[in-house]
Amino acid sequence: MPDTHFYRYDEYDRRLVGERVEQFRDQVRRRLAGELTEEQFKPLRLTNGLYLQLHAYMLRIAIPYGTLSSRQLRKLAEISRKYDRGYGHFTTRQNLQLHWIKLEQAPDAIAALAEVDMHSIQTSGNCVRNTTADHFAGAAVDEIEDPRVWCEIVRQWSTLHPEFSFLPRKFKIAITGSPNDRAAVRVHDIGLRLWRNDQGEVGFEVIVGGGLGRTPMIGKTLREFLPKDELLAYLEATLRVYNRYGRRDNLFKARIKILVHEIGAEKMCEEVEAEYESMKDSALRLAPETIEAIAGQFAPPPLQPGRTRVPEVEALKLEDRNFALWLKSNVAPHRVPGHAIVTASLKPAGAPPGDASAAQMEGVADIADAYSQSEIRVSHEQNLVLPHVAIEDLPAVYRALDRLGFAEANVGKITDIIACPGLDYCALANARSIPVAQRISRHFAALSRQHDIGDLKIKISGCINACGHHHVGHIGILGVDKNGIELYQISLGGDVDFGRTALGTILGPAVPAEKIVDAVDALVATYLEARSAGERFVDTYRRLGVQPFKDRVYAAV
Amino acid sequence: MAKNLSGDLRVASANRLVDGMVVFLDDAGQWAERLDRAAVARDTRSAEILLQRARLESFGIVEPFLVAVSEGEDGRIEPLSLREKIRASGLTFAAIAAEAVRYA
Repeated sequence: MPDTHFYRYDEYDRRLVGERVEQFRDQVRRRLAGELTEEQFKPLRLTNGLYLQLHAYMLRIAIPYGTLSSRQLRKLAEISRKYDRGYGHFTTRQNLQLHWIKLEQAPDAIAALAEVDMHSIQTSGNCVRNTTADHFAGAAVDEIEDPRVWCEIVRQWSTLHPEFSFLPRKFKIAITGSPNDRAAVRVHDIGLRLWRNDQGEVGFEVIVGGGLGRTPMIGKTLREFLPKDELLAYLEATLRVYNRYGRRDNLFKARIKILVHEIGAEKMCEEVEAEYESMKDSALRLAPETIEAIAGQFAPPPLQPGRTRVPEVEALKLEDRNFALWLKSNVAPHRVPGHAIVTASLKPAGAPPGDASAAQMEGVADIADAYSQSEIRVSHEQNLVLPHVAIEDLPAVYRALDRLGFAEANVGKITDIIACPGLDYCALANARSIPVAQRISRHFAALSRQHDIGDLKIKISGCINACGHHHVGHIGILGVDKNGIELYQISLGGDVDFGRTALGTILGPAVPAEKIVDAVDALVATYLEARSAGERFVDTYRRLGVQPFKDRVYAAV
Repeated sequence: MAKNLSGDLRVASANRLVDGMVVFLDDAGQWAERLDRAAVARDTRSAEILLQRARLESFGIVEPFLVAVSEGEDGRIEPLSLREKIRASGLTFAAIAAEAVRYA
């Protein structure tokens, strides 16, 4: 019986990662001895996910398709405790960042990762980054197929791919297997959506040229339906066209979205299809046995259908209002009756979004062992997910998460804020993100009020690189630096729900840091007064437009 | 009231190679963790010399550069930009402790 229900490294993977650890150990040794200059060493450390930030090195650890075993999460806790300051930051790309790594210990930290089949390769640099997926994959009621099978195939194809190790710019792929996109596929360099056509065949919609950052774009569909076994050939063709025509003369115009925008989706499609034609029957066509072998490793856990209505759960709902709210916001239906998907909120009131201490990581690993098939997911919204929980275990899981401070009933609510590390850590940032998120979180901490406000996604970035996804927040907040003063530009109406992907509209002049809570309060007040029955914040915004929100905010600040 | 807000005052800073920590060049040519130990250049020419010295003393540190600072009545120096204030002083919020199970 395997200890995981997802891909396990084979000897090839282990050898590749092990060799990389030893290469990096030698590179670090030579750098510390002065045999390599920083200019020579920098690309080597970045290839291994090691950045030098404002006041320390940061190690970005890949969590493929956001899936972790309890053993892996415990190892991350151990590494954070032994080589960092005992906590980590889960990111919007389902990775984990450790912000206080010492260079001299980085090889040991990476070696420790390899012990649990993990690494930090390609978490930086102009290459194909960690492929992200729906965090409910393999458990979601609405899922057509588990997207992680395809993420793993992409991982194997793209890892150290010699042709795509020096792309014009970084390249991010996301895959969803559900019609309700939870992987933000339209704002990635390539987004893949599995769907079933009228003939009952499952294939991919291939969306290219999306992205956030300085020039946000919604991706264009290059192929409505791509047979699954042709995926790698089509990806290779797309990357090859990008590698050939993508700009290398201007860092800010180097992403594939700019290429698609400049030559147009039609021309891009022509180029990709022409390239694809020459290779579609090559070795890149996936053999059924190859797909089956990988899919077999993602075989669902042996869950027995159980009771969907459990008296103990119903009783606790009546006794404990917070539990009742938690069931509404943090618990989602599971494909197997009698089970549920639980989101552990890493956004307790006033906490840095996405941060977890070593003790908390170990606590979540323990809960996963006891109640969720030893499996954990990382969401791009910076929460952790327990994907396979029996409904009868929900009270116990709630109590256990509450002891960790992760049972806040706020998933999808105003305090479930996405925030990048911002100027407190990041060398690129112009303004702080986390303290702003903390102040908003504290202001709206009352759960009854949050549930009255309903679904409202705030996303905060500390600079235009948009790691906090502010462009697609119902309320987006972008930190800017004006003559040394932190100001925050607000945008409204962004979204990443499938079919409704939209970029936010800037409200008006940026507001001072000390006024940002007042501004959000004014936005919420406008919505509460104007909403129709059943309308979310973003629905009311779409109906009314920006003006009433703008008037209220600038009267308040 | 700060004596100098024009940005003429400079200190040399870098990150320490071995662990990435922020360091400042002191009068003895050593890299110190504390800003109050930093050698202060008071004009453009002195700043150029300070940066040259920093580059000469660059074994064990990464990419030295000059930081604009102000000096208070009490002689205390402080970076002018928020970025450098954070580099010198650390996070502006309390990070969770390794063994904590709740954010306080």
